[in-house]
Amino acid sequence: MSDKDTFNATLAAATCALLGSAVATPVVAQEEASRWSFDSTLLYYGESDDRVQDVSAAVSAVRDFGDERKLSATLTADTLTGASPSGAIALDRPQTFTSPSGRAVYTTNAGEVPLDDTFHDTRFALSTSWTQPLARLYTFSAGLGFSTEYDYTHLGANLSLARDFNKRNTTVNAGVAWSQDDSNPVGGRPVPLSQMLDVGNNSNKRDGSESKDVLDLLLGFTQVLNRTTVLRVNYSYSDSSGYLNDPYKVLSVVDPLTGDTLTRVPVGQGPDGVYVFESRPDTRTKQSLYAEVKHAFGKPVLHFSYRYMTDDWGIDSHTGEIRLRWPLGEGYIEPQLRYYTQSAADFYRASLVGGAALPRYASADFRLGEFDATTVGIKYGHDTASGNEWSIRAEYYQQSGSVPQQQIIGNQAGRQQYPDLSALIVQFGYRFKL
Amino acid sequence: MNSTCAATLTRDFDHWTGRFVAMASPCEVLIDEASASLARQVLDAVSSEAWRIERKFSRYRSDSAVHQINQSAGSATPVDDETANLLDFAATLTRLSEGAFDITSGALRKVWTFDGGDRVPSQQQIDEVLAVVGWHKAEWRRPTLRLRAGMQIDFGGIGKEYAVDAAAEHVEKIAPGLCCLINFGGDVAVRNERASGKPWRVGIESYARAATAERVVQLARGALATSGDSRRFVFRDGRRYSHILDARTGWPVRNAPHSITVAADTCTQAGTITTLAMLQGRDAEGMLKATGVRYWLQ
Repeated sequence: MSDKDTFNATLAAATCALLGSAVATPVVAQEEASRWSFDSTLLYYGESDDRVQDVSAAVSAVRDFGDERKLSATLTADTLTGASPSGAIALDRPQTFTSPSGRAVYTTNAGEVPLDDTFHDTRFALSTSWTQPLARLYTFSAGLGFSTEYDYTHLGANLSLARDFNKRNTTVNAGVAWSQDDSNPVGGRPVPLSQMLDVGNNSNKRDGSESKDVLDLLLGFTQVLNRTTVLRVNYSYSDSSGYLNDPYKVLSVVDPLTGDTLTRVPVGQGPDGVYVFESRPDTRTKQSLYAEVKHAFGKPVLHFSYRYMTDDWGIDSHTGEIRLRWPLGEGYIEPQLRYYTQSAADFYRASLVGGAALPRYASADFRLGEFDATTVGIKYGHDTASGNEWSIRAEYYQQSGSVPQQQIIGNQAGRQQYPDLSALIVQFGYRFKL
Repeated sequence: MNSTCAATLTRDFDHWTGRFVAMASPCEVLIDEASASLARQVLDAVSSEAWRIERKFSRYRSDSAVHQINQSAGSATPVDDETANLLDFAATLTRLSEGAFDITSGALRKVWTFDGGDRVPSQQQIDEVLAVVGWHKAEWRRPTLRLRAGMQIDFGGIGKEYAVDAAAEHVEKIAPGLCCLINFGGDVAVRNERASGKPWRVGIESYARAATAERVVQLARGALATSGDSRRFVFRDGRRYSHILDARTGWPVRNAPHSITVAADTCTQAGTITTLAMLQGRDAEGMLKATGVRYWLQ
């Protein structure tokens, strides 16, 4: 056989001579997608030192109705167990706390960062969305989401509209999402900055649920730069209002000289130190800018992304990620590296000083502190003969944070301030069509 | 088949469907948004063109041009323009396939019968037939063809696809811009896009299960052709011999896909590529990739 161009040109010329006309309007044909496609994943997330363990199973189904109209639904079930830091500082003596339910106490060993180990939950989530072209060049989609767990429910809705320009090389999209989350914590909602009380005393806890409303706006831009490179830029604005506290997080109230937690004598069972429940503002506004470049070097594809986020709590964060998808046999291998860093919230306090006026807002939640985290991972995907794909992904997450020097008082200097965290993530995935 | 067999026209949800039988195949024409009288006119144009080409190029009919050529083997026979065009086209395919495709290879059917049975001819039988196979043995000086005694030609492998394109051209003349899908036994052409902008949905029959669609191809315009051996083969000693014969050896092509479907601008191009790819046997997919066409294998 002669080479491709000669072959095609010879055949086209011979056909033209045979049919006696220059009909050749270029063919427009494509295989119709399978009506149903499924993506199932099973994920394990395990933190070191018996902290949070999460097993999550998700199935998403997409029904293709043709003409770019699609209905999708995702069902997720999560089981969380383990312990998470309560916000109290480590001491050279054991510490006793009242559990969130207000019905029992638990004790942390000397030198250990206190963890609240009553943490376990099962969550179910369902989300659905519908996508369809609205007019030539316009694509519309709308979705609803719902999730429920023991002390929390979430209801969300979203709309988005995309328009193609420039022979579909440019896409601009705008979206709006709204959600309402209801929190109904175990043992009631503690009054912010009130003290942790003895077992059986719920005078500082409020019954019923409190809600949080979140409004997200998104503006996106996708540009095909050339045959091998695509750029995407997103700006998002998020406004949360309502109950933004974590009802299970506390702060230690410490002696201004020694830095040790003030002691108290419980009546019956109760905490042996002074701890107050955290207090966060009831609004939060976040803005983020995200840029992503995908470039194909022949078959291998490089993916690079960067996100900058800033909010009015004083947290600024940067996330950089790089992935390289390398073909391997009937599949591909994809190493991945991600780096994240954030500054602390303005009201982040490792502890509060006894006798001083209480600040309006304070939280010792490590997630609002200054930290950085590195994730390294690798994924292997395999395409089966029938066009399905299975994959396995493993990631290792390493986080380390610090407490601002000026917040470290007395004896605290010699103790662990902000415990390191590492986690292992393993995910199996199987994608198939019917 | 002949024109006394009626072509039937029925109204479907958003198009007309005309049906008839030609070239031993079920044929249909789907007509987008037209009056009943125009739809009937289009169906008549398509069916009469199919039957005309069948009459003219059937090797079984004693009044066909091909029959006359074959009967006159040994002497020079002048042919008309349309036949000459087909001969020129066939000669190009022979050149592109380096002799594997050949319109004189039909003689091999004397020794090969692809009926699902187990008869495999001897090498000696094949060699005897090969003496009268090979386009290079014919003298073709347009408009005159001289076949050697015993040689014969047929337009199997290109005739049906040509008929689809010819019928599409015929429709374009009587109703310019009208959208219709012409399907002769799985070889399909669409000249103009539908008013709604929606593609036609064309099912590709499963090789393994007749009358079930293996996949659906959305065709807005252009053509599809399928070549396969689902019902025509010989099975002997655990080996399946496809009906695709390599004219150079007289033996069936080995390890070809069971079915190849190709999308191209015209049905003739699509059909040619499926036929030439089949002749590549195991390397069929390599050739399809090299041409850059959109294809589906089974």
